[in-house]
Amino acid sequence: MPQSSSYTENELVQLLKQRTQAAFSYLYEHYSGALYSIILSIIQDKELANDTLQEVFIKIWRQIEQYDPQKGRLFTWMVNISRNASIDILRSKGYNAQKQNRELTESVYTAAGTINIETDKIGLRKVVDNLKDDFKVLIDLAYFQGYTQDEISKTLNIPLGTVKTRLRSALTALREFIKK
Amino acid sequence: MDIKGYIQSGIIEQYVLGLTSAEESAEFEQLRAQYPELNDAVLNFEKQLEEYALINAIQPPLQVRSTLEKELFNNSTTEKTSIKASTPVYNINTWRYVAAACIILLIISTALNFYFYSGYKNSKDQFEALLSQQNTLQANNASYKQSLQMMEDTSMMHVEMKSVPGKEKNLATVLWDKSSKDVYLYINNMQPTPQGKQYQLWAIVDGKPVDAGMISDCVGLCKMKKIDHAEAFAVTLEKEGGSATPTMNEMYVMGKI
Repeated sequence: MPQSSSYTENELVQLLKQRTQAAFSYLYEHYSGALYSIILSIIQDKELANDTLQEVFIKIWRQIEQYDPQKGRLFTWMVNISRNASIDILRSKGYNAQKQNRELTESVYTAAGTINIETDKIGLRKVVDNLKDDFKVLIDLAYFQGYTQDEISKTLNIPLGTVKTRLRSALTALREFIKK
Repeated sequence: MDIKGYIQSGIIEQYVLGLTSAEESAEFEQLRAQYPELNDAVLNFEKQLEEYALINAIQPPLQVRSTLEKELFNNSTTEKTSIKASTPVYNINTWRYVAAACIILLIISTALNFYFYSGYKNSKDQFEALLSQQNTLQANNASYKQSLQMMEDTSMMHVEMKSVPGKEKNLATVLWDKSSKDVYLYINNMQPTPQGKQYQLWAIVDGKPVDAGMISDCVGLCKMKKIDHAEAFAVTLEKEGGSATPTMNEMYVMGKI
């Protein structure tokens, strides 16, 4: 196999399944930065983010057999692993969860978007910051904090149906910013 | 189905970002298999997302890579360190399950305690009831035995008291120990007493009635008052506690010696 050129996704998955060090190097060189930025958009603590990235690569390495190309691209799978691992780690550390909840709730009740959710302007956070407050709160709770739509409905005291439609509108708006 | 509207609803983004509920995912995957344009839309957004993430990549510190390579390609340390890396997450989950299991076991155990305790209490109550029943039976048995012995005793005088006219079908027997002067009464058959009334035994001495005691519910023979000598015995129905003189028209049985 050629070492330097870029692999197709299929080839990369095959190589990963053979557990060659070359496959790892390629994977790490191409995707560690993108995944690290996803993790950092959820975990602000760099030390913890480093540990999480390590855990994410170990998971990808060990669980590659579970990746199903029918369901989506390899990168999407890796992003979801990164997001889940980050949220799990945050929850297991009880890390700042209360503080974030309070800030979110406050921002919901503050009029006309004067309060910004504190972020480091990293990765997806950057685009989310462009959205209006209603949407920002929803995506923050759903994507960055891993709340289910049910939990959001209860936390914000908004009907579940409204949460569902508003979350989808927020995501459509988010996509517009990603495109640019 | 308005597949275009569905595609634009935001469901694609929601699904790819892993924000759909289980039902939403199932529904989406079913539709995706049906509509190729849905599949295209998914791939399209996935590519966009990937592009965006690659452009906005942030290089992690170098030591992350070296640590990973050590862990993944240095067999001797692989298992140990990987366990260390994932320990915090699993630990808490494990303890959560253990705690949940403990609580469930505690609830089951408490319920069983109640169940067994009430069972035990029932059995204990029944046992005590049986015990007291047995005591009563034993006492009754002793009385009957004693009564029987006295009835068979030839030194005892038997005075059979028969119904007086108008009070038929009543019968009682006096057993009179001539030497000790003790008087016992055996109820062969007497009408039940009405509320507030009681039978009273009289000894007729020199033509006059003498109180020989009240007849209460006794087992076997009722011990009555001592009587030195008498010509006859009789039973009348009196108010509870007895009377000083017998109510003659309430005489039930009588027996001459």
